[in-house]
Amino acid sequence: MMDVGRHSKINLLTYSEIENIGGYIGNFQVTVRKKARYVDEKECNACAECEKVCPVVAADEFQEGFSLRKAIYMPFPQAVPSVYILDDKDCLGHNPIACGKCAEVCEKNCIDFDMKDEIITLNVGAIITATGMDVYDPTEMNEYGYTQYENVVTSMEFERLISAGGPTEGHFIRPTDRETPKRIAFIQCVGSRSNSPIGNPYCSNICCMNTIKDSLLLMDHYPGIEITVFYIDIRAFGKGFEDLYQRSKQAGVRYIRGLPGEIFENSKTKNLSMLVEDTVANTVTDFEFDMVVLSVGVIPRRDSDTIQRLLTLSTTTDGFFMESHPKLKPVDAPTGGVFLAGCAESPKDVKDSVTQASAAAARAQILLNAGKISVQAITSQVLTDLCTGCQVCVKVCPFHAITGGDAKLKIPVEIVEAACQGCGTCAAECNFDALLMRHFEDKQIISQIDAITSENPSEKVVVFACNWCSYGGADLAGLSRMQYPTSQRVIKTMCSGRVDSKFVLHAFEKGAPILLVSGCHYADCHYIDANRWTVKRVDKLWDKLERLGIRPERLQLEWISAAEGQKWANTMKDLEKMRAQVTQEEIEYTMKVLKEDREKSEARKKKKAEMKESVKEIPIDVIA
Amino acid sequence: MEEIDYKCMHCGNEYRGSFDKLIPIERTCPKCNSNSIRRAKKKPRKP
Repeated sequence: MMDVGRHSKINLLTYSEIENIGGYIGNFQVTVRKKARYVDEKECNACAECEKVCPVVAADEFQEGFSLRKAIYMPFPQAVPSVYILDDKDCLGHNPIACGKCAEVCEKNCIDFDMKDEIITLNVGAIITATGMDVYDPTEMNEYGYTQYENVVTSMEFERLISAGGPTEGHFIRPTDRETPKRIAFIQCVGSRSNSPIGNPYCSNICCMNTIKDSLLLMDHYPGIEITVFYIDIRAFGKGFEDLYQRSKQAGVRYIRGLPGEIFENSKTKNLSMLVEDTVANTVTDFEFDMVVLSVGVIPRRDSDTIQRLLTLSTTTDGFFMESHPKLKPVDAPTGGVFLAGCAESPKDVKDSVTQASAAAARAQILLNAGKISVQAITSQVLTDLCTGCQVCVKVCPFHAITGGDAKLKIPVEIVEAACQGCGTCAAECNFDALLMRHFEDKQIISQIDAITSENPSEKVVVFACNWCSYGGADLAGLSRMQYPTSQRVIKTMCSGRVDSKFVLHAFEKGAPILLVSGCHYADCHYIDANRWTVKRVDKLWDKLERLGIRPERLQLEWISAAEGQKWANTMKDLEKMRAQVTQEEIEYTMKVLKEDREKSEARKKKKAEMKESVKEIPIDVIA
Repeated sequence: MEEIDYKCMHCGNEYRGSFDKLIPIERTCPKCNSNSIRRAKKKPRKP
């Protein structure tokens, strides 16, 4: 951190928040609020005189509330820059000035009670999101008695208690009697690998090794201490980790596979007892400990939704930011020019965070050094004659790649080609056919439907498959030699979001008995959330088909990933069964009804256009 | 989060499930695992 602070080419903005991010890859405009710290950053030399005279005390957040800090304080000993900060919520003398003792003793006159937040605008080419993580709060887990019993602490609190820079200067004591505990229990997977609504289903990755490290540290500092670790599995994967695990076992740490059901406190001794089933030895034992450490998992940062919204990032089901591709682009965000590092992407230890951060920095450097980017040819194009400026496309674009547009002033929208990723959702949602999706144009897809339905359409199932997942699923089914009916005819689109309502209606009008729209699972959408629009569109189509007396069940929707070849094969078998049940009369009725509906709609559009034309033809002087 | 009625367009199973406009979740039929899940309408609109 010191090196970063001193580097001539790094502008370090601490105590600052991102207010807004505009632009696109290579040309981001970032608005930063540099919050007032009420201490002159350049002048303060951290002499601590202000802290000594400050009469206000508050819980020290860095020490997990085990010690107190003043209203003017250093956030933590290694803070960069090494400058004091005044907490305006706690300070007595901020507004109106009632105290001012810190200002009186500061020889360099660093204290400025009138300091205001500063808004800074930065023009940057790439953004690395390294917003970190938060720690799971086990308060809601009543069975472990956290916050009810003082001697039950979290692993984060334990870290402060054994740290040389902590509130006890590294002398490990338990909170109730300030004595060094003799018997300590670590309970693993608190808030992790849980199906409970108050827990998280994922493994937090770092807790096992953290406990092993802590147990060895305690054994080293306090020989003779009894340590018991209750676990589901010890996940010691990684270089040297298994060795460390074995070392802790040899040092005398006891590992018991099983978690306690409930913890009880002895009101006199404040010791903690628990009944645990050892699933290896197949025994149930009553344990008593002086102190219990809950090895809590990690969670996404609680305020990560702000940065997610500003950068149009997507998250996986566990709430961490999703990478563009788990294998091929593991540090790239789906939004061009944005990279991910550390626990913002998933729970990981220091080594993995540094590896990922190095990769993200290298990726950003490649982009910046090139000075230009190559964009794919699959992007949207606005047909300005047709665009009414209604801005529906602006709303649906997952990458904020469409700007401008004004319906009243008839100003067409504009596409930022560097930001457009080519999902085609805009073209599917446009009611005026004013957006042309290169390589996946309406006429190209309609031609494919016409070709499929030109011969024996009643014997075919029309399938729309997205390029990344469903088409990959079909590929896998084929490569794995899975058997499924041959009646399906696949039309590939980049995203299921490209499947326009008119494609579906056109296929039915041409005699298709069954139609499937398939795409990536929600969390896997390669275009952030474009497939949410697919769901909305299919919902509307089901309503329309029902209104017209057509069985909505003939339109199916499935999310099939590239790894789900079996699901693809099973879906095709099911669709074939459904196809066999559709009668020729039903198909003919559908074709007739949809043809009439289309003709009516076209007639309405034509009439509307004629009316517009006639209005245009009236000379201005006649009106006058 | 409100509870609403869903209908599976694949197997016809009708069930109640949670719905949140702000947090869209992947809809899956608890009976057949299909994703063809439609929000059940209280009153079907007239043609």
